[in-house]
Amino acid sequence: MFSVGKQLPYPVVGDAGIDKQFLAAPIKSAVDKFQLLPEFLKVRGLVKQHLDSFNYFVKTEIKKIVRANDRIVASKHPNIYLRFKDVRIGEPSIMVDGSPEKITPQTCRLSDLTSLINKQGYSLDCAVKLYSVATWKYAAPILVNVEYIQGSPGQMTRVEKNDVVIGRMPIMLRSCCCVLYGKDEAELAKLGECPLDPGGYFVIKGTEKVLLIQEQLSKNRIIIDTDKKGNITASVTSSTEAIKSKTVVVMENEKIWLLLNQFPKKVPIMVVMKAMGMESDQEVVQMVGRDPRYSSLLLPSIEECAKSGVYTKEQALEYLESKVKKSMFITDSSEKEGRAYSVLRDVFLANVPVHQNNFRPKCIYVAVMMRRMMDAILNKDTMDDKDLFKTMISEAKMWIDKFLEKNNKTSRFDFSHVIPKPLLAVQWSACDNIEYISRDTITNGLERTLSSGNFDIKRFKMHRKGMTQVLTRLSFIGTMGHMTRVSPQFEKSRKVSGPRALQPSQWGMLCPCDTPEGEGCGLVKNLALMTHVTTDEEEGPLISLCYYLGVEDLELLSGEELHTPFSFLVIFNGLILGKHRRPQRFATSMRKLRRAGKIGEFVSIYVNEKQRCIYLASDGGRVCRPLVIADKGISRVKEHHMKELTDGVRTFDDFLRDGLIEYLDVNEENNALIALYEGDATAETTHIEIEPFTILGCAMGKQAMGNIAYNQLCRKDTLLYLLVYPQRPLLTTRTIELVGYDKLGAGQNATVAVMSYSGYDIEDAIVMNKSSLDRGFGRCIVMKKKAVTIQKYDNNTSDRILRPDRTADNAGHMQILDEDGLAAPGEIIRPNDIYINKQSPINTRTQIIGSAANLPDSAYRPSREKFSGPEGESCVVDRVILCSDKNNMMCINFLFRHTRRPELGDKFSSRHGQKGVCGTIVQQEDFPFSERGICPDLIMNPHGFPSRMTVGKMIELLGGKAGVSCGRFHYGSAFGERSGHADKVETISETLVKHGFSYSGKDFIYSGPLGVLY
Amino acid sequence: MEGASYARTPRIKIRELKDDYLKFELRDTDASMANALRRVMIAEVPTIAIDLVEIEFHLRVKCMTDQTLDVTSKDLYSSDHTVVPVDFTDPAGLDSSENRGIIIVKLRRGQELRLRAIARKGIGKDHAKWSPAATVTFMYEPEIHINEDLMETLTLEEKREWVESSPTRVFDIDPVTQQVMVVDPEGYTYDEEVIKKAESMGKPGLVEISAKQDAFIFTVESTGAVKSSQLLLNAIEVLKQKLDAVRLSEDTVEADDQFGELGAHMRGG
Repeated sequence: MFSVGKQLPYPVVGDAGIDKQFLAAPIKSAVDKFQLLPEFLKVRGLVKQHLDSFNYFVKTEIKKIVRANDRIVASKHPNIYLRFKDVRIGEPSIMVDGSPEKITPQTCRLSDLTSLINKQGYSLDCAVKLYSVATWKYAAPILVNVEYIQGSPGQMTRVEKNDVVIGRMPIMLRSCCCVLYGKDEAELAKLGECPLDPGGYFVIKGTEKVLLIQEQLSKNRIIIDTDKKGNITASVTSSTEAIKSKTVVVMENEKIWLLLNQFPKKVPIMVVMKAMGMESDQEVVQMVGRDPRYSSLLLPSIEECAKSGVYTKEQALEYLESKVKKSMFITDSSEKEGRAYSVLRDVFLANVPVHQNNFRPKCIYVAVMMRRMMDAILNKDTMDDKDLFKTMISEAKMWIDKFLEKNNKTSRFDFSHVIPKPLLAVQWSACDNIEYISRDTITNGLERTLSSGNFDIKRFKMHRKGMTQVLTRLSFIGTMGHMTRVSPQFEKSRKVSGPRALQPSQWGMLCPCDTPEGEGCGLVKNLALMTHVTTDEEEGPLISLCYYLGVEDLELLSGEELHTPFSFLVIFNGLILGKHRRPQRFATSMRKLRRAGKIGEFVSIYVNEKQRCIYLASDGGRVCRPLVIADKGISRVKEHHMKELTDGVRTFDDFLRDGLIEYLDVNEENNALIALYEGDATAETTHIEIEPFTILGCAMGKQAMGNIAYNQLCRKDTLLYLLVYPQRPLLTTRTIELVGYDKLGAGQNATVAVMSYSGYDIEDAIVMNKSSLDRGFGRCIVMKKKAVTIQKYDNNTSDRILRPDRTADNAGHMQILDEDGLAAPGEIIRPNDIYINKQSPINTRTQIIGSAANLPDSAYRPSREKFSGPEGESCVVDRVILCSDKNNMMCINFLFRHTRRPELGDKFSSRHGQKGVCGTIVQQEDFPFSERGICPDLIMNPHGFPSRMTVGKMIELLGGKAGVSCGRFHYGSAFGERSGHADKVETISETLVKHGFSYSGKDFIYSGPLGVLY
Repeated sequence: MEGASYARTPRIKIRELKDDYLKFELRDTDASMANALRRVMIAEVPTIAIDLVEIEFHLRVKCMTDQTLDVTSKDLYSSDHTVVPVDFTDPAGLDSSENRGIIIVKLRRGQELRLRAIARKGIGKDHAKWSPAATVTFMYEPEIHINEDLMETLTLEEKREWVESSPTRVFDIDPVTQQVMVVDPEGYTYDEEVIKKAESMGKPGLVEISAKQDAFIFTVESTGAVKSSQLLLNAIEVLKQKLDAVRLSEDTVEADDQFGELGAHMRGG
């Protein structure tokens, strides 16, 4: 009658009519929500933040940037202009003999430019064509539709041209512009790509580059802090498409001042208020709040203003004009209006727009800033903790936006610089001014920025170094970990502990465990499994929606009305919209709209009771995560929803659309009460965690040896470490399965005896079994790349490769050479062996007489390349790849393979950080054995346990043993036991006992040399 | 005791014998003998294994079909018909079609491989590939004495609990007499769980278990290179040769008094 397990019992209405057992059953039963996770990762993926950001950029942002300033007018001839009508990114391609040819990421990876010939055998599906034009990167053309004026000043014609290439854009792998987008496994394999590879990086000059997620203080938000002298400050970092500025209001000597870059010295805030038209002191006081405590704090500032004789707007502007920094280039508008006025309008609190010279919103903004400061003075609680994550938004919204913006702007400047010149020239009419568009500015700018990682935007005074990194390919998981890394905003050298500490608001957003040791500790962070980083969302409709929902417009409010009791200010993306009299109702209705899918799912609504504000946010770069919605503590996700999910009729997005799950950002989490497990939910609970372990990231095995990708043997890395026999762990975790660690493993399962043995195992050293090593334990492959360029010189001479002279003295070292003078793949190469028989001309400077090809042998000197490897070890020439580099010279890449077996001093580690070097290698017969014949692969010293307290390792030892004996992979987790996603130690012990082992995992073993019981 | 230890004649009783599996008892000797035998079986019984491989790019195996072709150890042809790759097929021959030997390489359509492999005789000490033994292990035969009087003080429930405390099935309860009896003494793994259990029940000395110092139960599993019975014989032969090597030479006869009985023994007396 009843189904077993966790399913809700369905009533069976029999003759009796009422089923008592059903009525007696508990109403709530925990629903297994684990299945949501693979579904979530299917939709979002682990590197979705990179892809989202890039996709948003190429689809929306780039159009915005171009639209923002689409007209270039010749300064001398206003009729002559060039207008960008539309912009888009084409398909990744290179130009071959003037016609575009499609390229794939793998070809770009294989070439410092483009890959060509793969010498002999070892069939690699790489191009055999020698491209005459260099592709240095995986890039696609940026195409624009333009409209411009052509002809002489006398007779002008308007010309329209579509799909003009203005530059080449590096393409992020797996983004919507990439050839890999939407391809299935077989198609990816055909393109030479690993299906498990997450993408999200660029290929530039043959190397893979990741743009790191940057952490930034949230922009356009008021942050209350204390400066070095202990003065309270309120600062706003404004950022708009046009300008970036930082406005600081500081309380010093009981007076309030404004600090702004354009003013070399601090200026009294009241003067600024007056300059913005707020001539009445009373109104300022009203705007700040009528509470006498506020007024008394404001009084000295008002007095100061009166003392300096500033009463009117004109006086104030005059006063500021004397203080303002003189600009080097004076534009027409600032000459007319006065420099101070334009600074106040454009730079001061740039995020608050000024429409038709209406400064009132800015005044109110300043008043709110002052009010917050005074709150902080009166009551220290309201101080923002700068280190608190909630004020820091991970600016994953990639800086590529910014730097492209910059680059596009420079290219615009380029046009305006370039175009007027022919205008002045007489032959203007003859030329088509479209030819003057410089393509290289954008292309080179993008490439340089991405490959060096230095972002310099002079306009924004932004200089950042190390924004991109070469993607680590030490192990598959290491790569994944690298893609989720968040780089800090502070300098690493700072010896401060505040920002390094784990903040409570990082819960679920950043992995609490995954941070490096040493200088970057706590500063370099990693995203958690389910973290999502938002992209910008259209503001206009949201703002008007707010007004419909009863927000009273700022314009209609007097200063007095601003802070009436029971009304909350509504702040949208740092912009004050107005006030609302029923804040909770407003927040609830906004949230309802979000859950119904009427507004974007990443819009956050946060009611701050203390500041009496409602914060709405739709901007990009906020981190958020999905949570299950609960009504009065009862989860909205029910068993039947999960069943639909497993049956494939419901997707993760359906959960969002049906309002079962929603995304909360760090701020909105403050308004939620989140239960870790469904069972913990009380009536006040608003949300339930999907799976507790998702607060972790994927930290394991960064430098573990294993597999890189399915295409690991078709790659061309300078150094590559591979395990010959990688295995998937016997004791897995759910995370391992989610990130694909079980498919591309790093490491091997070992039979471990925890005991002391021989004294060669002190200080964490490991004793290894020689026979295990013979049988392939820990065997690895090291691949090294050596590149040789066939140089061409200025005097038309060039290096040449010669057929080896089999009779020469050093013929012994040239045995591995083929007739073409290059080492043959598959040959064993020893130290000092020559792998390329190259000769260089002696004279490379002065012009030579006659043809360069007919140079006599005497004009060359040998420049053979010798292999330098470890003495006594033999490597193998794995592959020889021929390609041309960007200077169109032939480049020959040799890949040497070296198979190594573990030896003394090699470092080994378990997954719990219990690392140790190999202390000695012992014959199997000397190794301890059990009466079942089990002989360990390695012995580790038990002294590693008590001080380190690696309980996880103890559980892994048990679980692994149980796993081998019963033939089932066991699960372990820091949280999962309660939600049923991990095996409990008790059940593991039962399994062990069932298979005849001690419940504790201990075995009695015999001494190898003596044969007696230990 | 002194005299007796040299004069012992170890006895072997074979319990189970298959081509690749052997279980026997070794009695009337001590641990040094048993362990020496184990060590020799693992590391010093010679076998033949492939040591050098030369690969040439000429046709020997070529994959002609669309499916991948598995090249296994069975495809190796030996120049000496007495030397053949290890055959794992079950003599019963139930699923010999599935058991195709050890895979060397998988070939795709059009790929080909030619190799020449040189097999050499060697011992497991040099490389584990020459080891003929998959497992060689022994255990001391346990001696189990149940204190019947104390046992009778337990209720049936307690007895059952005590019996079940052993992870391996060593004890059982006679369904008729309801007495605890030892069913499988060799199942005991010296884990002392039952002793601990007895102590926690407040009945220390309920059972006494000791290891017999002169009786060993060996388990030998062969890799297939040598039959398990032959493995044992070879091991004894190797051990003998080793002992021969340390036999005292004839010129120490005059030192007979000095070495006494040991000297005579070492000279083969």
